[in-house]
Amino acid sequence: MKFTSVEKGCIPPCNVAPNSLMGVPRVQTNPSRWHGDGWQGFVEELKSKGVVVREEKWERSIFVTDAGGLAFGLPHGVVRPSSSEDVSKVLIAAQTHLVPVITRGGGLSSEGEAIAFGGLLLDMTSMNRVLEVDRENMTVRTEAGIFWHQLAEVLRRDGLDYLSAPLNMTSTVGGVLGVGGIDINSPRLGCSADQALALRVVTPTGEIVECSGSENSDLFERVLLGYGQFGVITEATMKIRPFTHIKMRYLYYSSLRTAIEDLQLIVREDASDYSGILTVMDSAINLLVAFDSDGREQEFDARWRSRLRGHGEVSFGVRLALYYALHPWRIKEALYIVDRRMKMVPEFFRPEFMREGKIEDRTVVFSRAVWKFWGGRQMVIPDLSASAEKFIEAVERGNAVCRKYFRYYTLYCVGIKKMEDLPRYEMSCMPPGATDFAYGCEFEPMLKDKDYSRDYLQSFKNEIYDIGVDMGLSYYRFGGMMKGYIRRIFGDEMVDRHLEMKRKADPAMILNPDVIF
Amino acid sequence: MMLKPVMCHEVCIGCSCCLLSCPVWNRTRDRSLTAQGRNKALQGGATVEDISNAIDSCILCGACEPNCPEGNDIVGLTIEQRGLLNMTRKGYPSWYPATEAKPTKGVRLQYKEVTLLAGNALKNDKDLCEAVLKLLGNKSITASDDGSDILRSMEAGLQVDKSRIDDFIYPLNSAGPLVVAEGGLRRHLKEWLPDKKIAGLGEALLSIDSIRRSLGPDDLYVIECRGFHSDYARLVRFYDRVRLETGVQLNLDLQRIAIPTGASSIQASEDLEAAGCIEQVKWILYGRKVSRIIVENLADIDAFRRVTDIPLVHVALLA
Repeated sequence: MKFTSVEKGCIPPCNVAPNSLMGVPRVQTNPSRWHGDGWQGFVEELKSKGVVVREEKWERSIFVTDAGGLAFGLPHGVVRPSSSEDVSKVLIAAQTHLVPVITRGGGLSSEGEAIAFGGLLLDMTSMNRVLEVDRENMTVRTEAGIFWHQLAEVLRRDGLDYLSAPLNMTSTVGGVLGVGGIDINSPRLGCSADQALALRVVTPTGEIVECSGSENSDLFERVLLGYGQFGVITEATMKIRPFTHIKMRYLYYSSLRTAIEDLQLIVREDASDYSGILTVMDSAINLLVAFDSDGREQEFDARWRSRLRGHGEVSFGVRLALYYALHPWRIKEALYIVDRRMKMVPEFFRPEFMREGKIEDRTVVFSRAVWKFWGGRQMVIPDLSASAEKFIEAVERGNAVCRKYFRYYTLYCVGIKKMEDLPRYEMSCMPPGATDFAYGCEFEPMLKDKDYSRDYLQSFKNEIYDIGVDMGLSYYRFGGMMKGYIRRIFGDEMVDRHLEMKRKADPAMILNPDVIF
Repeated sequence: MMLKPVMCHEVCIGCSCCLLSCPVWNRTRDRSLTAQGRNKALQGGATVEDISNAIDSCILCGACEPNCPEGNDIVGLTIEQRGLLNMTRKGYPSWYPATEAKPTKGVRLQYKEVTLLAGNALKNDKDLCEAVLKLLGNKSITASDDGSDILRSMEAGLQVDKSRIDDFIYPLNSAGPLVVAEGGLRRHLKEWLPDKKIAGLGEALLSIDSIRRSLGPDDLYVIECRGFHSDYARLVRFYDRVRLETGVQLNLDLQRIAIPTGASSIQASEDLEAAGCIEQVKWILYGRKVSRIIVENLADIDAFRRVTDIPLVHVALLA
C-alpha cells in the first residue's frame, strides 16, 4: 500500500485511507472539517469576478444535512450559480486557494455526500432551466440543477416524458447522472445516467467542456456515475419519449427467494416495461409489474403470468391470515402489515391520478408515497448491488441483518440493464461479474416513531456493507461516510487508477473531497 | 389575532417537495426564500429577522401545503412568523394593508339564506355580483361584512381584535351555506365555523349544469388557488371530475396543485409584476393551446390581460 505524505494544512490527496476501517470496523468514517485557511482570499477573488458568496449562517444552515440526516456539516459559504461560467470561476479560484467545493443538487444522498464539511457549497438547483426540447430528435437539453419533476412538468406540456429517473421528484438531473439513478424501468432502459447523450461539464480546474460519446468521450465516461469527482455537470442533453399512462399489476409472495426468481425471469425475458419488488419485512412481498401499452400487458398475460408464482391480493391475504392465525405471537407484525396496506394502497389509487385503471404521472404517485411512508428526518438505506447469480443470497443475507436490527423494514429490489461494458460502470454501482443485468436491493428500516442511536444505525449499515465485501458485490452508495469501504470493495488496483485520474483532473483535490477521494 | 396552533418549523424534514409548486421558487430559484429554506434556517438557529425577506416573499397561495409529506401547516406557520416579525419591525413593507381590521359598530344581522362573501373585487363589480347572486338562487344574499379587512390583516400577520372576528362570524352562524369568493378566507372560516357548509365561488358555480356544459377542451379554467389548497383533499377530486366530464384544461400541475397567479396576494395588490404574477401566468400558459380563459378570481383577469390577448371571462358569465 502506498502512502503519500501530506503537508500540514493541505488537503490530503487521498481521503480513502487504506486503513480507514482498521481497528474501527464498525464505526463510520466521518470526514474532518476543513480548517478555513485561504477562505477570505477565495471569497474576495469570487466577489471581484461578480460571484455572490452567501456567508450568513442562516443561509448556510439550510444545507447542514442531507436526506440521510445522520451526517452534519456547515459550509463556509454558499454559491448559487446561474451559469457554467459561475461554476468555472468558483473552481478556478478554489484550485488557487485550496478551498474544497461541494456540489449539491436535491441533497438526497444518505451518507453525507452532499454535505459540506467546511469550504464552499455549490447549490446547483439554481441552474434549473429547460433549454431546448427537440421533438424531432426526441431529446431535451436542460440545466443540470433542475429537479426531475420540474423537467417532467415542462416536457408534459408537449406530451413528452423523460426516460428514467429515481422515484423521487426532488432529485436533480445532475445529481442523478453523477451517481447512476435507478427506476423501475431500469431493467429495460439501464440506469438513469444511460439516457444522457451529451453534457456540459466544468472540470475541477474550471474548463467548460462539451462532451458526449463522440466528443471528449473520456470525460463523458468519467463524469457519468463519477460521483462528482471529475467535474460539475451543468447542462445535459437526454433522450425523451412520448408520455404514457401505465397499468400497474401487483403479485404477492411470502417467500423472498421465489419473488426474486420471478423478478429475474421478468427482467431476463423482458416480460414487462417496469418491474420491481417492494416488501413489508419479508412477510408480505410485492412484485410489481407495469406496462406502457395494452399490447404489452396482453403479451405478459399470455406468455408469462402463468409462469409466475405470485398470488392476487385476496388469495394472498387469506394465506397471510391463516399464517398469523397459526402464529398468534406474531400478531403485532400482522397488524402492522394490515395497517400499512390500509394506508398505502389508497395512495397508489388516488382517483385524480387514475385514468381508466391506469396511473397518470406515476412518478408523482410513487414519489409522494415514498416521502409519506418511507421518508423522515433520518433515512438509513444501505444497499447491495449484485450480479444475477449472487443476488438472491445477497438479499437473503441482508434481510437477516434487517430482521436482527429492526422490527419493521422494507426491501426494494430492482433489475438494471447493463448497456455495454462502458468505462462509466467501472467503480460504480455496477457490480463485477454482472453481464446483461445487475440487481440492486435497498434495505430500509422504518425509523418513524422510534429513536435509534447513530451508532446502532451505523452498525446496521456496516453489517449490510460487510456482506458486499464478503460476496464481492457493489453498492449504490459507497461515498461519504461509507467511503471506508471503497478500497475493500473495489480493490487497490482500481482505486489507485481512479485516484491517479482524479489527481490529474483535480490537482488540488478540491472538488467533492468528502465523497470518494 | 386568532392564530390556530401551528406545527412548528421543527417538523420540516427538508425533502424539498414544497419547492416544486412554489411560485417564489419558480421566480427566484432561491431555496432560502421558500418554506423549506425558512424552516431549515430556523432549525439552524436563525431568527425571524434573519429570514424576514423569505417571510415577506411568501404570497400565501398554499400550493406547498398539499405537497408536504409531514402535513405541515405551512401557511399558518408563515402567518405566525409574520406576526412575530411584526413585533420587531421598524417599518412595514409597502404592500402591507394601510388600515388594520377594526371592530364594526352597527346592528348585528342574522343571515338565513345562502350567503355570498363577495370580497372587494366582486363587490365593486356590481353587475357581476348581481349575476352571481342570481346563479346562486333566489334566496341568496350578499353579506354586507365579507371579512376582507380581517383577511388582509391576518395575511400580514397583524393583530385582529377578537371582537372584530366575532362581529364578522355572528351573522354567519345562522346563515345557510356560505359561498366564499376570496379563497384565503376559507381556511379561517373552516376553523371559526367548523360545521358550516362552505364552498368556493368556482365550486358553487361549477355545480350549475349550464356552466359546466359550456366548458370544453379548448378552454383553460383557472382555479382560485387559495381556497382550493385550503380544502385540497375534497376539491382536487371535484375539479378532476369537472375535467373528466368536460375535457377542460385546468391550471393544475402534475401533482394536481393549482398553479397560482398570485394576483390575490397582498403583495400583488401593490405591484403584480413584483409579486411574480406575470411569470406565473406565463408558466400557466406555457405550451398550451387555448382559445378562452375562464377565471374564478377577478384579480386573475388583470394578470392574464398583461400577458395574453386570449379572451378572458369570469365563470359567472358562462351561464
